Amino acid sequence: MSTNDITNLVQIDISNCNKEPIHIPGFIQPHGVLFALKEPDLTILQVSDNTFNLLGLHPEELLNKNLNILLELEQINLLKDSLNPDDLLIGNPIELTIKSDSHSLHFDGILHRSDGSLILELEPTNSEKGNAFFRFYHLVKIAMTKLQSASTLAEISQILVKEVKNITGFDRVMLYRFDENWHGTVIAEEKPEYLTPYLGLRYPASDIPTQARKLYSTNWLRLIPNLDYQPAAILPTNNPLTDEPLDLSKSVLRSVSPLHIEYMHNMGVTASMSISIMKDGHLWGLIACHHQAPKYIPYEIRHACEFLGQMTSLEMAAKEDSEDVEYKMQVKSWHSKLVEYMSLENNFIDGLINNQPNILNLVNAQGAAICFHGNYSTVGKTPEQQDIENLVEWINQNQQEEIFYTDSLAQVYPQAEKLRAVASGLMALSISKSQKNYVLWFRPEVVRTVDWGGNPNKPVEVKQNGSIHLSPRKSFELWQETVLLKSLPWKSYEVNAALELRSAIIGMVLRKADELAQLNIELERSNNELDAFAYIASHDLKEPLRGIHNYSNFLIEDYGETINEEGKKKLKTLIRLTQRMEDLIDSLLHFSRLGRVDLSMQPTDLNHVVHSSLDLLSARIDEMKVDIQIPRPLPTVYCDRIQVGEVFNNLITNSIKYNDKAEKWIEIGYIDEPPLPITFYVRDNGIGIRDKHFEAIFRIFKRLHGPSKYGGGTGAGLTIAKKIVERHGGKIWVDSTYGEGSTFYFTLQGVK
Amino acid sequence: MIGNFSRPLLVIEDSDEDFEALCRIMEKQSVANPVFRCSDGDEALDFIYHTGTYNNCQKFPRPAIILLDLNLPGTDGREVLEQIKQDEDIRYIPVVVFTTSSNPKDIEICYRYCVASYMLKPIDINRLVETIQSFITYWLDIVILPDAVNN
Repeated sequence: MSTNDITNLVQIDISNCNKEPIHIPGFIQPHGVLFALKEPDLTILQVSDNTFNLLGLHPEELLNKNLNILLELEQINLLKDSLNPDDLLIGNPIELTIKSDSHSLHFDGILHRSDGSLILELEPTNSEKGNAFFRFYHLVKIAMTKLQSASTLAEISQILVKEVKNITGFDRVMLYRFDENWHGTVIAEEKPEYLTPYLGLRYPASDIPTQARKLYSTNWLRLIPNLDYQPAAILPTNNPLTDEPLDLSKSVLRSVSPLHIEYMHNMGVTASMSISIMKDGHLWGLIACHHQAPKYIPYEIRHACEFLGQMTSLEMAAKEDSEDVEYKMQVKSWHSKLVEYMSLENNFIDGLINNQPNILNLVNAQGAAICFHGNYSTVGKTPEQQDIENLVEWINQNQQEEIFYTDSLAQVYPQAEKLRAVASGLMALSISKSQKNYVLWFRPEVVRTVDWGGNPNKPVEVKQNGSIHLSPRKSFELWQETVLLKSLPWKSYEVNAALELRSAIIGMVLRKADELAQLNIELERSNNELDAFAYIASHDLKEPLRGIHNYSNFLIEDYGETINEEGKKKLKTLIRLTQRMEDLIDSLLHFSRLGRVDLSMQPTDLNHVVHSSLDLLSARIDEMKVDIQIPRPLPTVYCDRIQVGEVFNNLITNSIKYNDKAEKWIEIGYIDEPPLPITFYVRDNGIGIRDKHFEAIFRIFKRLHGPSKYGGGTGAGLTIAKKIVERHGGKIWVDSTYGEGSTFYFTLQGVK
Repeated sequence: MIGNFSRPLLVIEDSDEDFEALCRIMEKQSVANPVFRCSDGDEALDFIYHTGTYNNCQKFPRPAIILLDLNLPGTDGREVLEQIKQDEDIRYIPVVVFTTSSNPKDIEICYRYCVASYMLKPIDINRLVETIQSFITYWLDIVILPDAVNN
């Protein structure tokens, strides 16, 4: 049988244990008698079958009779009086005396209600209990005084087990504490030398199954005076009022599960008592008492121990909380530091990473990564970026909560096994799920040994017929387990610190967004002003320009005869310069308007666009004798027809212009790069461009040649082409070999 | 007559009109220095390093002083300046910037690269003449320039 199989079977075992209906066993322990009574006349509906031993009457003699068959009127009244208060338990126990043939029998009467019946349990007691009570009151008082002087959780636990041992006289008293997975650890123990120590040992959650824990939470005290008892059946089995077995959850005599008895036997115990310790309404731990011989503890002493346990649990909770106080204060101060750093830095992420303390301190992690809008910033020991990206993807798809944390990442995310040295523990804080913005903290693997009280995997017996029998474990010897792939656990205040950081980050992001919106408003305003400026510049600058232009012409017209050729040449230069100035102003205006005109997007057949461009340039094409090649028809593309036409215009014009070859050619086409976007190109065998200018040529008014070479130009054409392509969501770039030719590429979305 | 025949001046200037204005004023001052002109940055670097069309060292001597415009086609004046000042062999050549840009950033960058002077091209013709005359008088007459030919 492989290890895996065992694991599976243990799981079956646990579920079986969990299903055992231990609250309705139909039997009680025989050291007392149980009655189910009908109110208000106190008719006996059910009774345990051990009445003859304790009361001298057979159950048949009692069933369906009134309780006064046993008790005198005075006693009945006493009992009825204690039924009035809502909380029956306050009156417990009632001292009852039953007259037998020869002598009086003294009992503790313990009352509660179950499914509409009144349950009365009688435990025999001796008559000297008055003194006993005061003695135990005294003991409890001494114990409380000692407990109040204790300063740590460990001290309190130790005093508690010692005092309970004093009061009860059990051989062994232990304080057993549950963790978040319901595994338990013995945190204090008081015992004689000769017994094996259990202190520090760990017990698996399956030792105390769910429904048993539920009973511990309802009924805080449980006594089994002698495990080797013959259970007393309840007659009749079903309650006549409900026709169901009697619910014995609150009964003090309830019979014990056979599995539990076997378990205790294996431990060498004959009598046991357990007292629940509750914290904030949850089971926190147990005071577990063991005795090797049978041992009975009267109800009042049990009650005193229970009281002690409850008082102590308050103390312990307070101590446990205060032990972390110092660290919590430190965390608070780190938190406010981080908020301060975030607000000081331009980028809040720098504020979280670049200072001391940083986000690692906040939750005591060894590595952290901030994933924000696809950028990854890390600090400390973290997995590689690719691993972080994969992890974020997994978290994004599988974890819906704002925060997710585990001390054993590989268990839920098997790929993390190879990251064990840095990321056995993970805490992931989601800032924005849709944007995949996360803060991740990592903790390395901490290999440690856990001391179990015996192998926690219950033994499995396969019987001859193939059925599986699960028995409680038999060994409680130290059994060591090495825990791998686990980090230190994340403490609740560390998780809270992370959650608080989340609100701080969101606040910061919102504030930055506000600032950005403000900047945008200002940018828009200054854009508008710039737009106005370009208009005014183009209009107002052109006026004096026209003057210069016109008057230069007038000079040539009017004085052409009197001035010499040199003079005329200078005037012609003047006219040429004014024209150049006008071109520059027009380009500037055109460029500044480009971003502000709405695109008129529609499916556009680019063959039409290119051909009308070529028509426009036909004169120059003919003059320069350029061979235009279009290897295959161009596709139809969703774009602004006019503007994309201008892009082709610009590129073709450049290709014509910058060519010094004897046989010039231009090729216009597109590259198959499915599905979208489509990459178009305009290729020539022209003069080419040096690598270092590939970027610069797209800058406005940046030219590569003097105005007298290659027919001049304003240096705005490519800038305009770039802006148009970018407005269409595309890119434009150049590839060129100096002296051999250039290819301009740009992308456009095709028609979907 | 101003200047020394053995101290060549290299003018890096893309505007024909500006260069003409400069030549006109130099002519009036009877400048003796040989004047070479490059109209863009790549050409200027070719000239200085005797590469490309300027590979004849006799015909195109290394300049004793450079008058540099900043906004040039292709490789621009700032890059030319950076290149000159990074090169141990030629960084000694005084570079005088002559530009329309009054941008404080440009001025700072140029002085960081240890230009000898930074001059603005004025629009007013009288101021322009004055500026160029001062440049000629100071740099070609008063100042002692390194001996380019023997270098």
